[in-house]
Amino acid sequence: MSKIICSAAIRGAHNIVDKAEQKYQEVLDKWGPDHPVGFPNTAYYLPIIYGILGVPVSKLGDVRPVLEKCRSLLPPLVSEKVWLPYLAPTLEAGMATFFAEEIIEAIRYLEYPDFYTKQEDPIGGNIWLGAADDIILRKRGVEFVDGTAPGFAAILGAPPTKEIAAEIAKELQEKNLYVFMCAENNGVRMSEQLVEAGVQIGWPTRLVSFGPDYTATVFAMGFATRAAMSFGGIKPGDFRGNLLYNKNRIFAFAMPLGPVSDEWYANAAGAINWGFPVIADTPIPEILPTGICTYEHVVSNVPHSEIVQRAVEVRGLKVTVSKIDIPVSYGPAFEGERIRKDDLYLECGGGKTKGVELTVSRDLDEVEDGHVEMIGPDLDQIKDGSKLPFAMLIEVAGRQMQEDFEPILERQIHHLVNYAEGIMHIGQRAIMWLRVGKAAVEKGFRLKHLGTIIHAKYHQEFGAICDKVQVKIYTEEAKVDEVLALARKVYEARDKRVDRMTDETEETFYSCTLCQSFAPSHVCIITPERTGMCGAYNWLDGKASYEINPTGPNQPIVKGECIDPVLGKWKGTDEFIFKASRQKFQTASAYSLVHDPMTACGCFECIATILPLCNGVMIVNRDYLGMTPCGMKFTTLAGMVGGGEVTPGFLGVSKHYIASRKFLLAEGGLKRVVWMPQMLKKELEAKLKSRGEELGIPNLFDIIADDTKGTTEEEILPFLEEAGHPALTMESIL
Amino acid sequence: MALEIPKVSYSGKIKEIVLGKGDKALTVGGETSYPFYLFEGQMPLKPRIAMEVYDSPPEDWAPTALEPFADVASDPVAWARKCIDTYGAEMIALQLVSTDPNGENRSAEEAAALTKKVAEAVDVPLIVWGCNNAEKDTEVLKKIAEDCAGRSLMIGPVTEANYKQVGAVAIGYEHTVIASTPIDINLAKQLNILLGNLGVPDGRILIDPTTGALGYGLEYGYSVMERIRMAALTQEDERLQFPMICNLGKEVWKTKEAKQSRDEAPKLGDPAKRGVLMEAITAQLVLAAGADILIMRHPESIALIQDMLNDLLAA
Amino acid sequence: MALSGIEIFKKLPKTNCGECGVPTCLAFAMKLATGQAELSACPYVSDEVRAEIDEASAPPIRTLTIGTGDRAVKLGGETVMFRHEKRFENPPGLALMLSDTMDDSVVNEKLSKFKDLEFERVGLILRPQMLALKEESGDAGKFAAFVKRVIDQIDAGIILMSDKPEVMAEALKICKDKKPLIYAATKDTAEAMGNLAKEAACPLAVKGSGLDEVMAITDKLMGMGLKDLVIDSQPVNVKKALEDQVGIRRSALVKKVKQLGFPTITFPGQLTDSKMKEALIASLLIAKYAGIIVLSEMEGHNVFPLLLDSLNIYTDPQRPMAVEEKVYEIGGPREDSPVLITSNFSLTYFIVSGEVESSRVPAWLLIKDTEGLSVLTAWAAGKFAADTVAMFVKKSGIADRVKHRKLVIPGYLAGMSGELEEELPDWQILVGPREAAHLPAYLKQWSA
Repeated sequence: MSKIICSAAIRGAHNIVDKAEQKYQEVLDKWGPDHPVGFPNTAYYLPIIYGILGVPVSKLGDVRPVLEKCRSLLPPLVSEKVWLPYLAPTLEAGMATFFAEEIIEAIRYLEYPDFYTKQEDPIGGNIWLGAADDIILRKRGVEFVDGTAPGFAAILGAPPTKEIAAEIAKELQEKNLYVFMCAENNGVRMSEQLVEAGVQIGWPTRLVSFGPDYTATVFAMGFATRAAMSFGGIKPGDFRGNLLYNKNRIFAFAMPLGPVSDEWYANAAGAINWGFPVIADTPIPEILPTGICTYEHVVSNVPHSEIVQRAVEVRGLKVTVSKIDIPVSYGPAFEGERIRKDDLYLECGGGKTKGVELTVSRDLDEVEDGHVEMIGPDLDQIKDGSKLPFAMLIEVAGRQMQEDFEPILERQIHHLVNYAEGIMHIGQRAIMWLRVGKAAVEKGFRLKHLGTIIHAKYHQEFGAICDKVQVKIYTEEAKVDEVLALARKVYEARDKRVDRMTDETEETFYSCTLCQSFAPSHVCIITPERTGMCGAYNWLDGKASYEINPTGPNQPIVKGECIDPVLGKWKGTDEFIFKASRQKFQTASAYSLVHDPMTACGCFECIATILPLCNGVMIVNRDYLGMTPCGMKFTTLAGMVGGGEVTPGFLGVSKHYIASRKFLLAEGGLKRVVWMPQMLKKELEAKLKSRGEELGIPNLFDIIADDTKGTTEEEILPFLEEAGHPALTMESIL
Repeated sequence: MALEIPKVSYSGKIKEIVLGKGDKALTVGGETSYPFYLFEGQMPLKPRIAMEVYDSPPEDWAPTALEPFADVASDPVAWARKCIDTYGAEMIALQLVSTDPNGENRSAEEAAALTKKVAEAVDVPLIVWGCNNAEKDTEVLKKIAEDCAGRSLMIGPVTEANYKQVGAVAIGYEHTVIASTPIDINLAKQLNILLGNLGVPDGRILIDPTTGALGYGLEYGYSVMERIRMAALTQEDERLQFPMICNLGKEVWKTKEAKQSRDEAPKLGDPAKRGVLMEAITAQLVLAAGADILIMRHPESIALIQDMLNDLLAA
Repeated sequence: MALSGIEIFKKLPKTNCGECGVPTCLAFAMKLATGQAELSACPYVSDEVRAEIDEASAPPIRTLTIGTGDRAVKLGGETVMFRHEKRFENPPGLALMLSDTMDDSVVNEKLSKFKDLEFERVGLILRPQMLALKEESGDAGKFAAFVKRVIDQIDAGIILMSDKPEVMAEALKICKDKKPLIYAATKDTAEAMGNLAKEAACPLAVKGSGLDEVMAITDKLMGMGLKDLVIDSQPVNVKKALEDQVGIRRSALVKKVKQLGFPTITFPGQLTDSKMKEALIASLLIAKYAGIIVLSEMEGHNVFPLLLDSLNIYTDPQRPMAVEEKVYEIGGPREDSPVLITSNFSLTYFIVSGEVESSRVPAWLLIKDTEGLSVLTAWAAGKFAADTVAMFVKKSGIADRVKHRKLVIPGYLAGMSGELEEELPDWQILVGPREAAHLPAYLKQWSA
């Protein structure tokens, strides 16, 4: 931690404690130790002292031990020669500062009972509201719990002009934050600036003018401390619980505007204890992540135009977008509409023009949230019935964002855009196809509104991973080509990454228990090389789903020690299965259909089962309605193996898994497959052929029988024999 | 050799939840066995029944269901009093149907004013049930929680869509939340986790697993309740160890068969007895699946269930 | 424990001869494992293997049949304690108690009412199937005549109730071909009743007070070679009745107590004088394992709810109930009434039709066969796809019954509206609400 900051904070703390002691002696002499003291209408005494120390201060005599505690917390002043001041003593000095300031403010209530208005609004000329009473706390605190007000900005001092003050206040209001104001910058106070600028202040507008002096910082901190006790069930004196509650739940930060005095440093040091970082407009030393706050601790020299955005990032506050501001209706009811030729205003992609959509992740400082840029002609600049090249480049940034999530976000574009009335969207990536109807254009819809939609919906649905979203839409050929080139590179890198990932390289797998509603004991284990049997969830989906919804149906499983690499069993997965199946199953193989195969839900894309005569495995997909060599149609099979049961010899599999290197490893892999419907074979042709090459059986694809060769074992066996299918000479599958 | 019935070993216990406050407060939960399996565990606290009161005069009710309340149907306060004074109700459930935006769309303020009036008029625990529109319920339940601060109401349905807002006021103003999920054990568990994360104390959560009427999907809720109880008692699933509440009266009485007259359905016997039995049997089945609180309509079906409870829980 | 399909398969001839009616031995083995086939269908399996498989696959609760033909009542065969673990197999038989001391006119009236108690629901006929004929006169001749009179009038599963073997013998002469249940062998009459049952080849009920006494009797009867037994443990109150039912089921399933591996018979009327309460006790016994429930009264108002109870509890949780694919008319729709379409999952149908009814807007409800899957599941499984929906709409004939061309689809399937419009070019596809509860509001503002 910066020596300058530590030295200053400790100096400031000494000053403040001195001042408190002096004031205390004065009032003690005057009123004696039994005289009541405290903030009005609260059951939390002096809340920071009560919350952190567990000491209920109700009369003057109670104050003395607190002051003694302050003294004991204060580290010695830092001398120029000693290079010792580190985080811990500074933080303690900050704590002492708050205790002392609460005492100072309490004495002010004693000496000047009408100094503060003691209500939600200014009264007449008095704009100083003072400590929030319990009624205000309850009413406003609820907003902190339910997220309608995610936190507050504790502003000390004032910006250079009343216009900037109004601008900062407005920006903070737009982020739904409370603005707690105190202290002066060269005789100027932000609360007063706002009044001058004609801005209404008070609790109802969330612009709270706590007090004229820096000591009023404790009203903000006391509010936070009480919220933890009132809403978090934190007991008085449980300082650790209280500070953690605030760090994790109250998105607050301190914003000193103007030169930072020793006393301000002392207050800032105090706030860091609560996990509230400091964002300053002056060039003070910075303190980057060190473990108390979630991210950075002190960030400085931030221009006023950027200070709110920067504060929000540093505190890790999530942006909430409640309304999608576009001129057409938006909702699932419009998802499936078609735009017919006669209604068509603009068409992009779909083989008619070049078209591409790409979502990429960037660093936080590379993305300006909400920025939507339209390059090239928009709908009002073109004729009805036009075609345009189209590229949409979506750039997202977030503390929890990972490159792996890009394709997941990108896949959402389709349904998010489709929800808009009068817009039709098909496909994805470079095969996207967009149609805009005449009616939508008449209502004022423009292509740039696609950006508005994406920005809003990414925040709404993927807020956990997206902190910032910006969208660029291009309808100029040259620019579209650029995005296309970029997209090709990104796609290739993505595919490679997925290709390189194996069950050995990743330590964490994901579960899926989405289907337990109808298959009570079903537990799907999703590994990099084994997608969920429904085909809808691969490993990355599982990972992203968990980030977005940590209590949802996709949970991480640390695979732990490998029990059997061929069957695909790990300690971690077995433990998870036991628990998640509610003790019905103890184990499951990821790669076997004979030995402890996985449970089947009912949504599997395909079913694999054995063909004893052929000593092999057949696979049938849901869309194939005919008879299969095992003597059962898909529907019959599905009826027998679903419902969360284990049925040895039968396994639900996804299409993707069939071409995996881990496909039925225990039974010998793809070489065991002797029959598939032709439609399924065709769908997987490229992948199966390349797997055949890999296995050293280049004609494997051709020697797997299909429904054109026969639909009974007896019919296909001669074909397999003639073709010399490897399964015939493998070890018996039973 | 005497037969020894194989016993289930229960490792969990349902949390005890206090409903309401003061002399008439009730406690439910505390089970250490499947419902009424007193030969191998405890069911120390009797399941409780709340009588329904509607915030607007009932339309289209079966005559037999309306008859007991015909004189008070347009006055929820009098209705609630009659439930207590005449029918000995141990709890009241105020059904705020008129707040439905697809119906009368009464405002949160009106609903809160009415709730307050009812709350002041009764001393038994009060359940307040919204219109099942998450957005509107949020608004209404927030206002009610605020205006009835400290009255320890049971408010719901609290769903995944509004748990933050309603959960927050429940914490702030000390009410109990009814965590409602659509017939799914995992969703029920997840909502309880989320409520816990939000800061709602364990002593103030009830599970509403969603209840269908007899003949109208009852079996789905029935099995989910059995599974929830099983997970809570034998699989140490701590986030499912909460009492369950079933809002069944309105489900049963809206079915065709509960309403049909003798002329409309000559084969279905006495309409009055039929309706009462349909409600009572629905109640009996959800009790067998693990319900701790029932919301019911007809005084006779309630009396029947009380009688059964006394028999099943007899010492 | 039951054998898995593969384990059974290994014991089969593996010839895929198809004589069992299933194309392959594997498919047959799977059917055996899931209880959908009988081993006797395979002509080639050895006696040794047959015994082995029978032993392993016999359910811990004996499956038996009372009565013959149409009204035969199958009982037992249960394998789980909770329906979600698999399913409950055979719903309890509801029986009406009639006594030989009742006036003829009373009996006739009760019988005619009994015949009337028949309800159609989700394509199934729900009805009580059994009559319990009780000897109270002490007169064997009178009882026999009474039995004869009843069976001449009605076809039902018969329970003959008398403690006196000599009375029973007379009654059996009249109706043993109907395979009645003989009620009951007590500890004093076990041998005599057992012999009667054996001679007549009829199932026999065992009446003992408490499970220990019951076991002593069943043990003796099993020793005599009787297999089809039914248990009455004579509980003294409701609490005990529940305990006994759980105890019997659990002992048979968990501890494999053979003496208790039989369906039960219960008499809720013995536990209360109130007919309403009797129904309520019966409702609990339906959920909690009773095999036969004898009622002292059967009226529409108690039988119908109990049949619903039984239907609900015995629905296979993994195999959704389905209703018939057709156009349903709700509230007398006219040519300008709305047309809605949804899946044939019974719950969907009940909820949607219920909401439409309560909206009081007459409507045409098209129910498409989705094999009992709910809307979203059906859509995901391709059973509610635009092409098949369109095909159904066309062949349903709805176009001839309404003037307009507007079709309301479930809100969750908004995604298929465009495709459906292409398949049904004459129709305008409207997206309805996502929740059935919002249908009344939606329908009220609907106009042709």
